[in-house]
Amino acid sequence: MGWLVKLFRNYVFRRAIRAFITILIVVTITFFIVRLMPGNPIEIYIGQLMSQYGMTFQEAKNAAAALFSLDLDAPLFSQYLDYMKNLFRGDLGRSFVSQGVEVVDLIASYLPWTLFSVGISILLSFSIGIALGIVIAYKRGGLLDQIISGISTVLTSIPNYLLGIILLILLGVQLQLIPVSMMRGTVSPGMKPGFTWKFISDVFKHAALPILTYVLSTVGGWILSMRGSTLNTLGEDFVTVAKARGLPERRITFTYVGRNAILPLFTSLTMQIGFMMGGSALVEFIFVYKGVGWALWSSIGQRDYPVMQGVFLIITIAVIVANFMADLLYGKLDPRIKAGGSE
Amino acid sequence: MRKVVFLVLAVLIVMGTASMILASEFHGAWPYLPPPNGHFNTFVTNAILGASMYHDLIEEPMAIYYWATGTWEPLLAESWKLDKEKSEFVVNLREGVKFNDGSELTAQDVIDTFYIGYLMHWAVWRFIDKVEAVDKYTVKFHIAKPAPKIVLERYIVRERVRAHSVYGEFAKKIIDLLAEGKTRDSKEMKDLRVEFEKFRPKTIVGAGPYMIDPNSITEAQLTLVKFPGYWDIKNIKFDKVVVYNGETPVVTPLVMSKEVDYATHGFPPATEMQFKRLGARILRPPIYSGPAIYFNDDIYPFNLKEVRQAIAYAINKDENAYVSLGQSAKRCVYMAGFSDNLVPLWLSDETKSKLNSYKYDPKKAEEILKSLGFHRDKDGVWVTDKGQRMEYELSVPAEYADWTAAAQNAADQLTKFGIKVSVRGVTYSQHPTEVRQGRFQMAIRDWGAGHPHPHFAFYTDLVSYNYLSGFGPGQNFPLTQKTKAFGMVDLNDLVTRSGEGWNEEEQKAAIEKLAVAFNELLPIIPLWERYGNNPAWDGVRVTNWPADDDSLYKNSPYADNFVTLMLLKGILEPVK
Repeated sequence: MGWLVKLFRNYVFRRAIRAFITILIVVTITFFIVRLMPGNPIEIYIGQLMSQYGMTFQEAKNAAAALFSLDLDAPLFSQYLDYMKNLFRGDLGRSFVSQGVEVVDLIASYLPWTLFSVGISILLSFSIGIALGIVIAYKRGGLLDQIISGISTVLTSIPNYLLGIILLILLGVQLQLIPVSMMRGTVSPGMKPGFTWKFISDVFKHAALPILTYVLSTVGGWILSMRGSTLNTLGEDFVTVAKARGLPERRITFTYVGRNAILPLFTSLTMQIGFMMGGSALVEFIFVYKGVGWALWSSIGQRDYPVMQGVFLIITIAVIVANFMADLLYGKLDPRIKAGGSE
Repeated sequence: MRKVVFLVLAVLIVMGTASMILASEFHGAWPYLPPPNGHFNTFVTNAILGASMYHDLIEEPMAIYYWATGTWEPLLAESWKLDKEKSEFVVNLREGVKFNDGSELTAQDVIDTFYIGYLMHWAVWRFIDKVEAVDKYTVKFHIAKPAPKIVLERYIVRERVRAHSVYGEFAKKIIDLLAEGKTRDSKEMKDLRVEFEKFRPKTIVGAGPYMIDPNSITEAQLTLVKFPGYWDIKNIKFDKVVVYNGETPVVTPLVMSKEVDYATHGFPPATEMQFKRLGARILRPPIYSGPAIYFNDDIYPFNLKEVRQAIAYAINKDENAYVSLGQSAKRCVYMAGFSDNLVPLWLSDETKSKLNSYKYDPKKAEEILKSLGFHRDKDGVWVTDKGQRMEYELSVPAEYADWTAAAQNAADQLTKFGIKVSVRGVTYSQHPTEVRQGRFQMAIRDWGAGHPHPHFAFYTDLVSYNYLSGFGPGQNFPLTQKTKAFGMVDLNDLVTRSGEGWNEEEQKAAIEKLAVAFNELLPIIPLWERYGNNPAWDGVRVTNWPADDDSLYKNSPYADNFVTLMLLKGILEPVK
């Protein structure tokens, strides 16, 4: 019995249980919320058949009835129980729109591209952001501070999809530096996947603009946040003491100021890593980039419930896990905070 | 040193020459879903390039239509004949045609195509009940329900022929089940349908001049390569057709950078102006349809034809057209319920003279409303004879830029006139359902149809969004109406008669009656007819585009696309 008590007192175990319950709640809410959207996949399919193939409503309805194995007239709760039963077996269902296509397979084909493009973007924008943030904090009030802060403010206020369109038009149409067709898609036609320099360079070429878009749209936020956090830290007593002790400026900057200033940003970073699983639907749409955001966008339009639920589940799990990791790692970064210490 | 320089020069010259004899390419654009969502079963939704203008280049149809002249260009079929006495439609196929997998085109391919069409509830099976081979190259369709020749032609010879080598097995199962007396409603057929929907051929086997290169498919583009064994290869001037994926916003930069030679997307007027400034030609084929204001007849006073007429007079449709789509929108002059481009072919001068154009006349609109006992409130808003203020909501598919512009302009004009209208955007995939289920007050939906026979236009105007569609009450516009011109008319009966039977004079008479009745009753108000604003680049990769007044441009770009025709007949040529 004692081991059970020990187990329940264990911080990691309790967080795991909490995470599991949170996922269940979110999955349940998602299940019902997507069905609150007006219309359903059968109606949309019927509408498509009527407009694309000239069928009457009855013909289209008969065609749809033969096709959709899921009875959307069944009580919602029984549909929910079926879904949860399958979910516990790792079965996310099949796409309503693309018959026979497993949602797991769909997500597996799209997710790596999102992880790749958004992951690199987060790393780049965070690294550039904290570096520039520290620099302009040290040079606060100066010309460099004003220029970079100004640019950061502007970049942060421009929606990422608008930045994407601007880059596309500027680089592809106005300056004609890069063919527009090269800025689209994940790879060039005919490119065989493999660990070859040809394939890897092609992937990077195609990801360059989506990555640049993400970086430009987020780096401003990191710069301004790091600047503010650094200014706060510079005013702390321990920095004054460090300076008074005559420690090298470089050591003060990185070990004392930088390390403390970055702490508040760390939580935001981990949350962003979690949310990156959802990609950015609009950026992926503009660059025709085959990521999870693009899949989510098209599944919403077609009311492809299983795909939508699958994507939301991935995002939920990622955010919860990222949050959990943030809690654990925060304690390592800041000895004043012990994970689970307050519990 | 000199030798090295000479060698380098020689290499450069050779490379330069090689670049001049690179494959000739035509670049187009069309939205498609890449694998795994997209696939090659062209009977089923989400087929890659399925039902697109490029589909005709892969799975060629038996014929393609010239809208200006009302004639056909025979392709896989050499000739056909409708025998009304025997109720037979007989098609003679072209001999010696090969599919791109090497198999020969025969009657069996056509039979398989149509029997799978039976499983997929194709509309043609309302009129036929059997398809059989007379001999290796002759197919006979038995007509169970007579229909106008043009209607049968569009259902039969306009259909793309699928390969027996791919679909034969499924077709045989369907034919066997039918022989056992099973119909589409039987369990066996339904199960077969489910199985067929999941069928995924490895590629598209067609008898057209091009085939998809499966290795070229990405989410951004794909390439069609020339099929050397095509029956009319001498007319195929381009080695490749590259199709870029995407809707209007993502195709726009491709057109601006001249990477797309032709696009059918509905570009906003501002984008079109930019294309023109960059030097593109803008082709304006008629679409034979456009947006119309639909009324919920359950809401008083929309059930009064005089109110609908007044609203028609109160809207300046020339302004509405220009604001919505610039030069690619033209006010409907005849307000006949079908395209002004088809009116001269179907209506007599006498009938045309009876049609009211409903030109902008707010004074007339005011007179009509006052004659009904309506009056203006203190703030200028009209009040009905029952004391209700005329304030309504106009719903529109939010993503359709031209329709939302039309809706907003119409709302502004009506509000200025005294009928307060506010616009609500509904996502495009949901909007038709909402209208068909009667969940609207006023709505923008389509009038007309991309079909040369007006029956289909009237079906859209009067049935598609009405209680007879089966989806819901829709407009709930009663189809038995009293008219000044004819007394009581049964509009549903007229629509049916206009599209059925052998007697073409009777059909024409029904269409004349429908046009006059529609014009008087105005169940919907057509705002304008849409014309394409298709950008075309001349001189980048493609040249020899016909002049703007060429009759080929009368072909609807979504029905018998003229560029498809031009590619098939070698009219367009690569830049040398």
